[in-house]
Amino acid sequence: MIIDCHTHWGMVWQERDRGDPRRWLAVLDRHLINRAFVFGHANLDRLDHCREDNELLRRLSDASQERILPIGTVWLQMGAEAVNEARRCIEQLGMKGLKFHPWLQGASVTSPVMDDICRLGAEYRAPIFFHDGTPCYSLSEQIAGLALRFPQTDIVLAHSGLLWNWRSALLYADLPNLWFCLCGVTLRAMEIMARTVPPTRLLWGSDFGFGLADTIAYRLELARRACIPDPTRELMMGANAQRWLESR
Amino acid sequence: MVIDAYCALGVDREYDLVAERLLDEMDKAAVDRAVVAPIDRNLTVRNREGNDYILEAAAKHPRRFIPACSVNPWFGDEAIQEMRRAIASGSRMLVLHPLVQGFVADDELVFPIIGEASAERIPIYIHTGPPGNATPWQVAGLSRRFPAADFIMGHCGATDFWNDVVAAVRSVENCSIEASLARPFGFASFVEQLGEAKGVMGSFAPLNDLVLEWEQMRQVLPPERFPGVYGGNLARLLEKRAPL
Repeated sequence: MIIDCHTHWGMVWQERDRGDPRRWLAVLDRHLINRAFVFGHANLDRLDHCREDNELLRRLSDASQERILPIGTVWLQMGAEAVNEARRCIEQLGMKGLKFHPWLQGASVTSPVMDDICRLGAEYRAPIFFHDGTPCYSLSEQIAGLALRFPQTDIVLAHSGLLWNWRSALLYADLPNLWFCLCGVTLRAMEIMARTVPPTRLLWGSDFGFGLADTIAYRLELARRACIPDPTRELMMGANAQRWLESR
Repeated sequence: MVIDAYCALGVDREYDLVAERLLDEMDKAAVDRAVVAPIDRNLTVRNREGNDYILEAAAKHPRRFIPACSVNPWFGDEAIQEMRRAIASGSRMLVLHPLVQGFVADDELVFPIIGEASAERIPIYIHTGPPGNATPWQVAGLSRRFPAADFIMGHCGATDFWNDVVAAVRSVENCSIEASLARPFGFASFVEQLGEAKGVMGSFAPLNDLVLEWEQMRQVLPPERFPGVYGGNLARLLEKRAPL
Protein backbone atom coordinates (compact mmCIF):
# COMPACT_ATOMS: atom_id res chain seq x y z
CA MET A 1 0.00 0.00 0.00
CA ILE A 2 1.50 3.29 -1.10
CA ILE A 3 -0.27 6.56 -0.43
CA ASP A 4 1.31 9.65 -1.90
CA CYS A 5 0.60 12.46 0.56
CA HIS A 6 1.72 15.35 -1.61
CA THR A 7 0.46 15.72 -5.16
CA HIS A 8 -1.22 18.44 -7.21
CA TRP A 9 -3.75 18.65 -9.97
CA GLY A 10 -1.61 21.10 -11.91
CA MET A 11 -2.89 23.75 -14.24
CA VAL A 12 -1.10 22.10 -17.14
CA TRP A 13 -3.03 18.90 -16.46
CA GLN A 14 -6.30 20.76 -16.35
CA GLU A 15 -5.48 22.61 -19.55
CA ARG A 16 -4.67 19.37 -21.33
CA ASP A 17 -7.06 16.84 -19.82
CA ARG A 18 -10.03 19.01 -18.88
CA GLY A 19 -10.98 17.35 -15.63
CA ASP A 20 -10.28 13.81 -16.78
CA PRO A 21 -7.88 12.22 -14.28
CA ARG A 22 -7.15 9.03 -16.23
CA ARG A 23 -3.76 10.06 -17.57
CA TRP A 24 -2.81 11.51 -14.18
CA LEU A 25 -3.81 8.27 -12.49
CA ALA A 26 -1.87 6.28 -15.07
CA VAL A 27 1.32 7.79 -13.64
CA LEU A 28 0.31 6.55 -10.20
CA ASP A 29 -0.38 3.14 -11.70
CA ARG A 30 3.07 3.04 -13.27
CA HIS A 31 4.54 3.28 -9.78
CA LEU A 32 1.98 1.09 -8.01
CA ILE A 33 0.67 3.96 -5.93
CA ASN A 34 -2.76 3.19 -4.56
CA ARG A 35 -4.06 6.58 -3.53
CA ALA A 36 -2.94 10.18 -3.31
CA PHE A 37 -3.82 13.30 -1.40
CA VAL A 38 -4.31 15.82 -4.16
CA PHE A 39 -3.96 19.56 -3.72
CA GLY A 40 -4.98 22.08 -6.33
CA HIS A 41 -2.76 24.43 -8.26
CA ALA A 42 -5.04 27.12 -9.69
CA ASN A 43 -6.60 27.58 -6.26
CA LEU A 44 -3.15 28.15 -4.72
CA ASP A 45 -2.18 30.53 -7.49
CA ARG A 46 -5.24 32.74 -7.71
CA LEU A 47 -7.81 33.68 -5.12
CA ASP A 48 -10.51 34.06 -7.76
CA HIS A 49 -10.01 30.41 -8.80
CA CYS A 50 -10.28 29.10 -5.29
CA ARG A 51 -13.89 27.94 -5.12
CA GLU A 52 -14.07 26.53 -8.63
CA ASP A 53 -10.81 24.62 -8.21
CA ASN A 54 -12.01 23.18 -4.91
CA GLU A 55 -15.07 21.91 -6.75
CA LEU A 56 -12.93 20.53 -9.56
CA LEU A 57 -10.92 18.50 -7.05
CA ARG A 58 -14.14 16.98 -5.77
CA ARG A 59 -15.14 15.97 -9.29
CA LEU A 60 -11.72 14.51 -9.96
CA SER A 61 -12.04 12.42 -6.84
CA ASP A 62 -15.44 11.15 -7.96
CA ALA A 63 -14.00 10.24 -11.35
CA SER A 64 -11.15 8.33 -9.70
CA GLN A 65 -13.19 5.99 -7.53
CA GLU A 66 -11.80 7.89 -4.53
CA ARG A 67 -8.16 7.16 -5.35
CA ILE A 68 -7.80 10.90 -5.48
CA LEU A 69 -8.23 12.20 -1.95
CA PRO A 70 -9.12 15.85 -2.45
CA ILE A 71 -7.64 18.58 -0.29
CA GLY A 72 -9.11 22.06 -0.64
CA THR A 73 -7.76 25.48 0.09
CA VAL A 74 -8.96 28.92 1.01
CA TRP A 75 -7.22 32.27 1.07
CA LEU A 76 -6.78 33.94 4.42
CA GLN A 77 -7.34 37.29 2.71
CA MET A 78 -10.98 36.20 2.24
CA GLY A 79 -11.57 36.82 5.96
CA ALA A 80 -14.72 35.25 7.36
CA GLU A 81 -15.55 33.93 3.90
CA ALA A 82 -12.38 31.82 4.09
CA VAL A 83 -13.76 30.00 7.10
CA ASN A 84 -17.11 29.49 5.35
CA GLU A 85 -15.39 28.09 2.26
CA ALA A 86 -13.22 25.81 4.39
CA ARG A 87 -16.33 24.49 6.10
CA ARG A 88 -17.96 23.97 2.70
CA CYS A 89 -14.89 22.06 1.50
CA ILE A 90 -15.13 19.63 4.38
CA GLU A 91 -18.89 19.40 4.90
CA GLN A 92 -20.28 19.65 1.39
CA LEU A 93 -17.38 18.68 -0.84
CA GLY A 94 -16.27 15.89 1.47
CA MET A 95 -12.64 16.93 1.37
CA LYS A 96 -10.16 15.14 3.56
CA GLY A 97 -8.33 18.24 4.69
CA LEU A 98 -7.02 21.64 3.71
CA LYS A 99 -3.80 22.85 2.14
CA PHE A 100 -2.06 26.20 2.48
CA HIS A 101 0.91 27.54 0.57
CA PRO A 102 1.59 30.69 2.56
CA TRP A 103 4.33 32.10 0.35
CA LEU A 104 2.42 31.54 -2.86
CA GLN A 105 -0.81 32.75 -1.30
CA GLY A 106 0.97 35.67 0.29
CA ALA A 107 -0.39 35.51 3.82
CA SER A 108 1.12 34.96 7.22
CA VAL A 109 -0.13 32.04 9.27
CA THR A 110 -0.35 34.40 12.23
CA SER A 111 -3.57 35.77 10.69
CA PRO A 112 -6.56 35.43 13.06
CA VAL A 113 -8.35 33.74 10.15
CA MET A 114 -5.76 30.97 10.33
CA ASP A 115 -6.64 30.51 13.98
CA ASP A 116 -10.28 29.97 13.01
CA ILE A 117 -9.23 27.52 10.29
CA CYS A 118 -7.16 25.55 12.80
CA ARG A 119 -10.14 25.35 15.13
CA LEU A 120 -12.22 24.12 12.22
CA GLY A 121 -9.60 21.48 11.45
CA ALA A 122 -9.80 20.26 15.03
CA GLU A 123 -13.60 20.26 14.95
CA TYR A 124 -13.71 18.01 11.87
CA ARG A 125 -10.47 16.19 12.57
CA ALA A 126 -9.34 17.38 9.16
CA PRO A 127 -5.56 17.66 8.76
CA ILE A 128 -4.12 20.91 7.50
CA PHE A 129 -1.18 20.62 5.09
CA PHE A 130 1.32 23.42 4.68
CA HIS A 131 4.04 24.09 2.17
CA ASP A 132 7.07 24.56 4.40
CA GLY A 133 10.76 25.25 4.16
CA THR A 134 10.53 28.68 2.56
CA PRO A 135 10.73 32.20 3.96
CA CYS A 136 9.07 34.45 4.77
CA TYR A 137 5.70 32.88 5.58
CA SER A 138 6.37 29.17 5.24
CA LEU A 139 9.31 28.34 7.46
CA SER A 140 8.92 24.97 9.13
CA GLU A 141 9.16 26.55 12.56
CA GLN A 142 6.40 29.03 11.73
CA ILE A 143 4.12 26.16 10.74
CA ALA A 144 5.19 24.08 13.74
CA GLY A 145 4.24 27.08 15.87
CA LEU A 146 0.65 26.57 14.74
CA ALA A 147 0.82 22.95 15.85
CA LEU A 148 2.04 24.16 19.21
CA ARG A 149 -0.77 26.68 19.54
CA PHE A 150 -3.48 24.32 18.31
CA PRO A 151 -2.71 20.94 19.84
CA GLN A 152 -6.04 19.47 18.76
CA THR A 153 -5.34 20.14 15.08
CA ASP A 154 -3.29 17.83 12.91
CA ILE A 155 -0.72 19.93 11.07
CA VAL A 156 1.33 18.47 8.23
CA LEU A 157 4.71 19.84 7.18
CA ALA A 158 4.20 18.96 3.55
CA HIS A 159 7.92 19.21 2.75
CA SER A 160 9.46 18.59 6.19
CA GLY A 161 11.69 21.59 5.77
CA LEU A 162 12.83 21.03 2.18
CA LEU A 163 16.59 21.33 1.65
CA TRP A 164 17.85 23.56 4.44
CA ASN A 165 15.05 24.09 6.99
CA TRP A 166 14.61 20.48 8.11
CA ARG A 167 16.67 20.83 11.29
CA SER A 168 14.23 23.52 12.43
CA ALA A 169 11.37 21.15 11.67
CA LEU A 170 13.01 18.43 13.73
CA LEU A 171 13.06 20.64 16.79
CA TYR A 172 9.28 20.24 16.94
CA ALA A 173 9.15 16.50 16.36
CA ASP A 174 7.88 15.99 19.89
CA LEU A 175 4.52 17.60 19.08
CA PRO A 176 2.03 14.74 18.74
CA ASN A 177 -0.12 16.66 16.24
CA LEU A 178 2.73 17.54 13.88
CA TRP A 179 3.22 15.27 10.87
CA PHE A 180 6.24 15.09 8.61
CA CYS A 181 5.74 14.45 4.92
CA LEU A 182 9.16 13.55 3.50
CA CYS A 183 8.88 15.32 0.18
CA GLY A 184 11.76 17.38 -1.10
CA VAL A 185 14.39 16.68 1.52
CA THR A 186 17.70 15.06 0.58
CA LEU A 187 18.26 11.35 0.96
CA ARG A 188 20.46 11.98 3.99
CA ALA A 189 17.93 14.29 5.66
CA MET A 190 15.29 11.66 5.01
CA GLU A 191 17.38 9.10 6.85
CA ILE A 192 18.02 11.39 9.80
CA MET A 193 14.37 12.37 10.05
CA ALA A 194 13.27 8.74 9.91
CA ARG A 195 15.49 8.11 12.93
CA THR A 196 14.32 11.17 14.85
CA VAL A 197 10.61 11.66 14.19
CA PRO A 198 8.27 9.08 15.76
CA PRO A 199 7.63 6.62 12.90
CA THR A 200 3.87 6.89 13.30
CA ARG A 201 4.01 10.52 12.17
CA LEU A 202 5.99 10.09 8.99
CA LEU A 203 4.41 10.40 5.56
CA TRP A 204 5.82 10.32 2.05
CA GLY A 205 5.05 12.52 -0.95
CA SER A 206 6.24 13.14 -4.49
CA ASP A 207 4.97 16.66 -5.33
CA PHE A 208 3.81 15.12 -8.58
CA GLY A 209 1.44 17.10 -10.78
CA PHE A 210 2.63 20.71 -10.75
CA GLY A 211 4.06 20.06 -14.17
CA LEU A 212 3.68 17.13 -16.53
CA ALA A 213 7.03 15.58 -15.58
CA ASP A 214 6.98 12.32 -13.63
CA THR A 215 8.51 13.32 -10.31
CA ILE A 216 7.33 10.13 -8.66
CA ALA A 217 10.03 7.87 -10.09
CA TYR A 218 12.83 9.86 -8.50
CA ARG A 219 11.20 10.45 -5.14
CA LEU A 220 9.99 6.88 -4.82
CA GLU A 221 13.46 5.58 -5.53
CA LEU A 222 14.87 7.97 -2.96
CA ALA A 223 12.55 6.55 -0.32
CA ARG A 224 13.44 3.01 -1.33
CA ARG A 225 17.20 3.54 -1.24
CA ALA A 226 17.28 5.53 1.99
CA CYS A 227 18.68 3.70 4.98
CA ILE A 228 15.40 3.43 6.87
CA PRO A 229 14.22 0.38 8.84
CA ASP A 230 11.63 -1.49 6.78
CA PRO A 231 8.84 -1.21 9.38
CA THR A 232 9.34 2.58 9.46
CA ARG A 233 9.36 2.75 5.68
CA GLU A 234 6.11 0.81 5.54
CA LEU A 235 4.46 3.25 7.92
CA MET A 236 5.80 6.23 6.01
CA MET A 237 4.83 5.01 2.57
CA GLY A 238 1.21 4.32 3.34
CA ALA A 239 0.25 2.68 6.60
CA ASN A 240 0.23 5.94 8.56
CA ALA A 241 -1.93 7.70 5.98
CA GLN A 242 -4.24 4.70 5.76
CA ARG A 243 -4.67 4.62 9.52
CA TRP A 244 -5.37 8.31 9.43
CA LEU A 245 -8.07 7.88 6.80
CA GLU A 246 -9.68 5.02 8.65
CA SER A 247 -9.83 7.01 11.87
CA ARG A 248 -11.95 9.72 10.28
CA MET B 1 35.42 12.36 -19.69
CA VAL B 2 32.49 12.01 -17.29
CA ILE B 3 32.82 14.33 -14.28
CA ASP B 4 30.72 14.71 -11.17
CA ALA B 5 30.91 18.42 -10.38
CA TYR B 6 30.35 18.24 -6.65
CA CYS B 7 30.98 15.68 -3.92
CA ALA B 8 31.75 16.53 -0.30
CA LEU B 9 34.50 14.35 1.04
CA GLY B 10 34.85 13.85 4.78
CA VAL B 11 33.02 12.72 7.88
CA ASP B 12 31.00 15.02 10.14
CA ARG B 13 27.32 15.12 11.10
CA GLU B 14 25.42 14.12 7.95
CA TYR B 15 28.60 13.69 5.93
CA ASP B 16 30.15 10.23 5.83
CA LEU B 17 31.96 10.01 2.52
CA VAL B 18 35.46 8.56 2.42
CA ALA B 19 37.60 8.14 -0.69
CA GLU B 20 37.13 4.40 -1.11
CA ARG B 21 33.37 4.62 -0.98
CA LEU B 22 33.27 7.52 -3.37
CA LEU B 23 35.47 5.64 -5.84
CA ASP B 24 33.19 2.64 -5.57
CA GLU B 25 30.10 4.74 -6.26
CA MET B 26 31.80 6.51 -9.15
CA ASP B 27 32.60 3.13 -10.68
CA LYS B 28 29.01 1.98 -10.27
CA ALA B 29 27.75 5.15 -11.94
CA ALA B 30 30.42 5.13 -14.68
CA VAL B 31 31.81 8.46 -13.53
CA ASP B 32 35.47 8.98 -14.42
CA ARG B 33 36.30 11.87 -12.15
CA ALA B 34 34.72 13.87 -9.34
CA VAL B 35 35.32 17.31 -7.95
CA VAL B 36 35.78 16.81 -4.22
CA ALA B 37 35.15 19.64 -1.77
CA PRO B 38 35.45 20.07 2.00
CA ILE B 39 32.53 19.39 4.32
CA ASP B 40 30.49 22.22 5.89
CA ARG B 41 32.56 22.64 9.05
CA ASN B 42 35.70 23.15 7.00
CA LEU B 43 33.98 25.53 4.65
CA THR B 44 33.22 27.67 7.65
CA VAL B 45 36.19 27.32 10.00
CA ARG B 46 39.56 25.59 9.83
CA ASN B 47 39.69 26.08 6.08
CA ARG B 48 43.26 24.91 5.82
CA GLU B 49 42.47 21.62 7.55
CA GLY B 50 39.65 20.95 5.07
CA ASN B 51 41.65 22.01 2.04
CA ASP B 52 44.56 19.82 3.03
CA TYR B 53 42.28 16.83 3.55
CA ILE B 54 40.91 17.27 0.04
CA LEU B 55 44.34 17.86 -1.51
CA GLU B 56 45.71 14.72 0.14
CA ALA B 57 42.79 12.61 -1.11
CA ALA B 58 43.26 14.00 -4.62
CA ALA B 59 47.00 13.36 -4.49
CA LYS B 60 46.29 9.71 -3.73
CA HIS B 61 43.84 9.44 -6.61
CA PRO B 62 45.02 12.00 -9.14
CA ARG B 63 43.19 10.44 -12.06
CA ARG B 64 39.87 10.30 -10.21
CA PHE B 65 39.55 13.28 -7.86
CA ILE B 66 39.72 16.97 -8.76
CA PRO B 67 40.32 19.01 -5.61
CA ALA B 68 38.25 22.08 -4.76
CA CYS B 69 39.16 24.46 -1.96
CA SER B 70 37.20 26.87 0.14
CA VAL B 71 37.92 29.85 2.33
CA ASN B 72 35.55 31.85 4.46
CA PRO B 73 35.58 35.48 3.33
CA TRP B 74 35.25 36.65 6.92
CA PHE B 75 38.89 35.67 7.40
CA GLY B 76 39.92 38.52 5.10
CA ASP B 77 43.58 38.53 4.10
CA GLU B 78 44.08 35.21 5.81
CA ALA B 79 41.46 33.74 3.45
CA ILE B 80 43.27 35.13 0.42
CA GLN B 81 46.55 33.65 1.59
CA GLU B 82 44.96 30.26 2.22
CA MET B 83 43.28 30.26 -1.17
CA ARG B 84 46.58 31.07 -2.89
CA ARG B 85 48.27 28.29 -0.98
CA ALA B 86 45.55 25.76 -1.83
CA ILE B 87 45.58 26.68 -5.52
CA ALA B 88 49.36 26.48 -5.64
CA SER B 89 49.02 23.02 -4.08
CA GLY B 90 46.61 21.85 -6.76
CA SER B 91 43.07 23.08 -6.00
CA ARG B 92 41.12 23.61 -9.22
CA MET B 93 37.86 25.17 -8.04
CA LEU B 94 36.77 27.60 -5.31
CA VAL B 95 33.66 26.75 -3.31
CA LEU B 96 31.62 29.39 -1.50
CA HIS B 97 28.62 28.54 0.64
CA PRO B 98 27.08 31.80 1.84
CA LEU B 99 24.49 30.14 4.07
CA VAL B 100 27.04 28.05 5.93
CA GLN B 101 29.84 30.60 5.85
CA GLY B 102 27.61 33.43 7.04
CA PHE B 103 27.53 36.15 4.44
CA VAL B 104 25.31 37.41 1.64
CA ALA B 105 26.55 36.01 -1.66
CA ASP B 106 27.07 39.37 -3.36
CA ASP B 107 28.41 41.21 -0.31
CA GLU B 108 31.55 43.19 -1.07
CA LEU B 109 33.22 41.08 1.58
CA VAL B 110 33.67 38.37 -1.05
CA PHE B 111 34.98 40.59 -3.85
CA PRO B 112 38.71 40.16 -3.10
CA ILE B 113 38.34 36.38 -3.06
CA ILE B 114 36.50 36.33 -6.35
CA GLY B 115 39.04 38.67 -7.89
CA GLU B 116 41.79 36.34 -6.81
CA ALA B 117 40.05 33.20 -8.07
CA SER B 118 39.45 34.91 -11.39
CA ALA B 119 43.11 35.89 -11.64
CA GLU B 120 44.06 32.29 -10.91
CA ARG B 121 41.60 31.14 -13.60
CA ILE B 122 39.68 28.70 -11.47
CA PRO B 123 35.86 28.49 -11.54
CA ILE B 124 33.85 29.62 -8.53
CA TYR B 125 31.11 27.31 -7.32
CA ILE B 126 28.47 29.01 -5.17
CA HIS B 127 25.86 27.02 -3.25
CA THR B 128 22.50 28.69 -3.88
CA GLY B 129 19.00 28.37 -2.48
CA PRO B 130 16.93 29.61 0.45
CA PRO B 131 16.77 31.36 2.80
CA GLY B 132 17.83 34.31 0.65
CA ASN B 133 21.53 35.04 1.05
CA ALA B 134 22.57 32.96 -1.97
CA THR B 135 20.05 33.57 -4.71
CA PRO B 136 20.40 33.16 -8.49
CA TRP B 137 20.27 36.90 -8.99
CA GLN B 138 23.00 37.46 -6.41
CA VAL B 139 25.20 35.08 -8.40
CA ALA B 140 24.23 36.88 -11.59
CA GLY B 141 25.17 40.15 -9.90
CA LEU B 142 28.61 38.80 -9.10
CA SER B 143 28.92 37.51 -12.65
CA ARG B 144 28.23 41.00 -13.97
CA ARG B 145 30.74 42.58 -11.65
CA PHE B 146 33.42 40.01 -12.46
CA PRO B 147 32.93 39.24 -16.15
CA ALA B 148 36.28 37.48 -16.43
CA ALA B 149 35.41 35.00 -13.65
CA ASP B 150 33.56 31.73 -14.25
CA PHE B 151 30.67 31.07 -11.87
CA ILE B 152 28.83 27.83 -11.27
CA MET B 153 25.41 28.26 -9.68
CA GLY B 154 25.22 25.23 -7.40
CA HIS B 155 21.74 23.71 -7.03
CA CYS B 156 20.00 26.25 -9.28
CA GLY B 157 18.53 28.09 -6.32
CA ALA B 158 16.74 24.94 -5.19
CA THR B 159 14.15 24.83 -4.38
CA ASP B 160 12.19 28.02 -4.14
CA PHE B 161 14.36 30.37 -6.16
CA TRP B 162 13.90 28.15 -9.21
CA ASN B 163 11.75 30.82 -10.84
CA ASP B 164 14.76 33.12 -11.12
CA VAL B 165 17.30 30.74 -12.63
CA VAL B 166 16.67 31.14 -16.34
CA ALA B 167 16.38 34.92 -16.38
CA ALA B 168 19.37 35.36 -14.06
CA VAL B 169 21.65 33.08 -16.05
CA ARG B 170 20.55 34.58 -19.36
CA SER B 171 21.48 38.02 -18.09
CA VAL B 172 25.18 37.17 -18.03
CA GLU B 173 27.70 35.25 -20.12
CA ASN B 174 29.82 33.67 -17.41
CA CYS B 175 27.50 31.62 -15.26
CA SER B 176 26.78 27.90 -15.53
CA ILE B 177 24.24 25.88 -13.58
CA GLU B 178 24.92 22.78 -11.51
CA ALA B 179 22.38 20.02 -11.06
CA SER B 180 22.49 18.73 -7.52
CA LEU B 181 19.41 19.38 -5.36
CA ALA B 182 17.62 20.87 -8.37
CA ARG B 183 16.48 17.28 -9.07
CA PRO B 184 16.79 15.71 -12.50
CA PHE B 185 13.30 16.61 -13.67
CA GLY B 186 13.84 20.25 -12.67
CA PHE B 187 17.37 20.54 -14.00
CA ALA B 188 16.37 19.14 -17.38
CA SER B 189 13.96 22.01 -17.84
CA PHE B 190 16.68 24.58 -17.10
CA VAL B 191 19.08 22.96 -19.56
CA GLU B 192 16.43 22.90 -22.24
CA GLN B 193 15.81 26.61 -21.76
CA LEU B 194 19.40 27.76 -21.31
CA GLY B 195 21.14 25.41 -23.70
CA GLU B 196 23.28 22.35 -23.27
CA ALA B 197 26.50 24.36 -22.82
CA LYS B 198 25.30 25.86 -19.53
CA GLY B 199 24.61 22.63 -17.64
CA VAL B 200 26.95 20.82 -15.28
CA MET B 201 26.03 17.53 -13.64
CA GLY B 202 26.83 17.12 -9.95
CA SER B 203 25.49 14.73 -7.37
CA PHE B 204 26.31 16.37 -4.03
CA ALA B 205 27.13 13.00 -2.54
CA PRO B 206 26.81 11.96 0.20
CA LEU B 207 23.73 14.10 0.92
CA ASN B 208 22.37 12.51 -2.22
CA ASP B 209 22.94 9.00 -3.52
CA LEU B 210 25.51 9.44 -6.30
CA VAL B 211 24.43 6.38 -8.24
CA LEU B 212 20.74 7.28 -8.11
CA GLU B 213 21.38 10.89 -9.12
CA TRP B 214 23.38 9.81 -12.18
CA GLU B 215 20.90 7.11 -13.17
CA GLN B 216 17.96 9.47 -12.96
CA MET B 217 19.72 12.33 -14.73
CA ARG B 218 20.74 10.13 -17.64
CA GLN B 219 17.11 9.15 -18.04
CA VAL B 220 15.87 12.70 -18.39
CA LEU B 221 18.91 14.16 -20.20
CA PRO B 222 20.26 11.43 -22.49
CA PRO B 223 24.10 11.68 -22.60
CA GLU B 224 24.15 11.29 -26.36
CA ARG B 225 22.10 14.48 -26.70
CA PHE B 226 23.65 16.40 -23.81
CA PRO B 227 27.26 15.23 -23.63
CA GLY B 228 28.65 18.49 -22.31
CA VAL B 229 26.47 18.34 -19.21
CA TYR B 230 28.22 15.16 -18.12
CA GLY B 231 31.74 16.49 -18.15
CA GLY B 232 32.73 18.53 -21.17
CA ASN B 233 31.28 21.81 -19.96
CA LEU B 234 32.97 21.58 -16.59
CA ALA B 235 36.25 20.39 -18.09
CA ARG B 236 36.27 23.47 -20.30
CA LEU B 237 36.10 25.70 -17.21
CA LEU B 238 38.61 23.69 -15.21
CA GLU B 239 41.12 23.54 -18.03
CA LYS B 240 41.39 27.29 -18.33
CA ARG B 241 44.09 27.02 -15.67
CA ALA B 242 45.77 23.81 -16.79
CA PRO B 243 44.92 20.53 -18.52
CA LEU B 244 43.14 18.02 -16.33
